[in-house]
Amino acid sequence: MSRGIGYTLAIFFFTIVFSLPLGLLLTFFETSKNPVLCGATKFYVFIMRGTPLMLQLFFIYYGLPFLPVIGKYLAMDRFAAGCIGFILNYAAYFCEIFRGGLLSIDPGQYEAARVLGFSRAQTTAKIIIPQMIKVVLPPTSNETITLVKDTALITTIGITDLLHYSKSLVNSTQSVLPYAVAAVFYLIMTTGLTLLFNKLEKKFRF
Amino acid sequence: MNDSITSDVVIVEHMRKAFGDNEVLRDVSLRVGRGEVVAVIGSSGSGKSTMLRSIIGLERVDGGTVIFEGADLVRDGIYVPEKQQRRILRRMGMVFQHFNLFPHLSVKDNLITAPVTVAKKHKSEAAEKAKELLSKVGLLDKLDAMPSSLSGGQKQRVAIARTLMMEPRVLLFDEPTSALDPELTGEVLEVIRELAADRMTMVIVTHEMTFARDVADRVIFMDNGLIAAEGSPKEIFYDSQNARLDAFLKSFRDR
Ligand SMILES: Nc1ncnc2c1ncn2[C@@H]1O[C@H](COP(=O)(O)OP(=O)(O)OP(=O)(O)O)[C@@H](O)[C@H]1O
Ligand SMILES: [Mg+2]
Repeated sequence: MSRGIGYTLAIFFFTIVFSLPLGLLLTFFETSKNPVLCGATKFYVFIMRGTPLMLQLFFIYYGLPFLPVIGKYLAMDRFAAGCIGFILNYAAYFCEIFRGGLLSIDPGQYEAARVLGFSRAQTTAKIIIPQMIKVVLPPTSNETITLVKDTALITTIGITDLLHYSKSLVNSTQSVLPYAVAAVFYLIMTTGLTLLFNKLEKKFRF
Repeated sequence: MNDSITSDVVIVEHMRKAFGDNEVLRDVSLRVGRGEVVAVIGSSGSGKSTMLRSIIGLERVDGGTVIFEGADLVRDGIYVPEKQQRRILRRMGMVFQHFNLFPHLSVKDNLITAPVTVAKKHKSEAAEKAKELLSKVGLLDKLDAMPSSLSGGQKQRVAIARTLMMEPRVLLFDEPTSALDPELTGEVLEVIRELAADRMTMVIVTHEMTFARDVADRVIFMDNGLIAAEGSPKEIFYDSQNARLDAFLKSFRDR
């Protein structure tokens, strides 16, 4: 069972570490003045948010290798496919959250920064992002907790995660207990994250 | 440097600006001398804010010329390269109606972030200067306060101090007291009066007629995208020759 916990934690960890910055990057693409970049990002977010995550996982792991010509280069191991699927999917959700944060910022902040001589990059880093964080922390917290529970989906592409092990233990021991143990584990993770985000929100109360 | 040629800090010639079909600035020419205080009055929508914002590069003009301390910002509607623009604009300061303090930074950090980030000043040196300027505006005790804990009048005084940190050669004010409760306008106007006494070059858009009369060397009346009248406070407020200006001033007296 602890190996299962390892996979669950690993998927969670990789997804957070890569999808948050990727989501922020997508936000800047989506709000950029370049119509191609903006349109492509909108389309990407539309696909990722409008289709089931499980379908996306199946597509990446089982589907891609059947693509003509390039298919054979796209076959990858289950774990890599799972990580990529989660990162791509969650980046789209984070992109939408961050976009809301970006739009909530008073245009006067950009003007004040500009007349003080800040470059665009300096304005983004020193003025805009810190104010965005305050706005996006609560929805990001929600999304992160959803991710903990969504990690169970990797069972469907045959990764032996926490849910997988508890299911086979239930079968072999003829007891419901392993499901309860799994539930407790998920609860520990979500509670820990809730506490962490509460702390962060306090820090960004200005 | 160019003082031998002209002592004008800002020269605006034939500036034009439209938003779509709305011609907001139709042909504005203006000179601001060193140490001069110019008050800009006029009814809502006459283009006062747009003029200030165009001088400091927040709006792109469609035509005309802006020269700052002898250097072109825009000539005949064509802007100099972005880097050069930023170098020129860095020597101008602007104070906004809604203060636009950075809410995530303490008063001290609001003041030092531009000198440290933009002008690459040393943190300790900037902090010294911040203290000096905060005591000038009477807010030294608010050094570590967050903007959200300040009154409107205090916020605007911090905003003025923040602008002064960059040692601007000209300060533009866009209705600095319009967002304030009446009892808080006095403390902000007092700070501006002190700057005038120090011979700071300033252009002040305001609806405070008494203040304009007292503090300005010259008053400009804007009407419908044009400078319709211009003169000393006495000429504008007491010897007006302009029917539109009379009507505007009368609407103030009747309030
Ligand atoms: N960003 C903008 N986009 C479109 N129209 C604008 C914009 N900014 C200003 N305008 C228009 O330009 C005209 C002049 O506006 P401006 O803000 O310069 O007037 P003002 O003299 O400062 O008025 P007030 O006393 O109300 O501040 C108005 O008709 C306004 O609607
Ligand atoms: Mg205005």
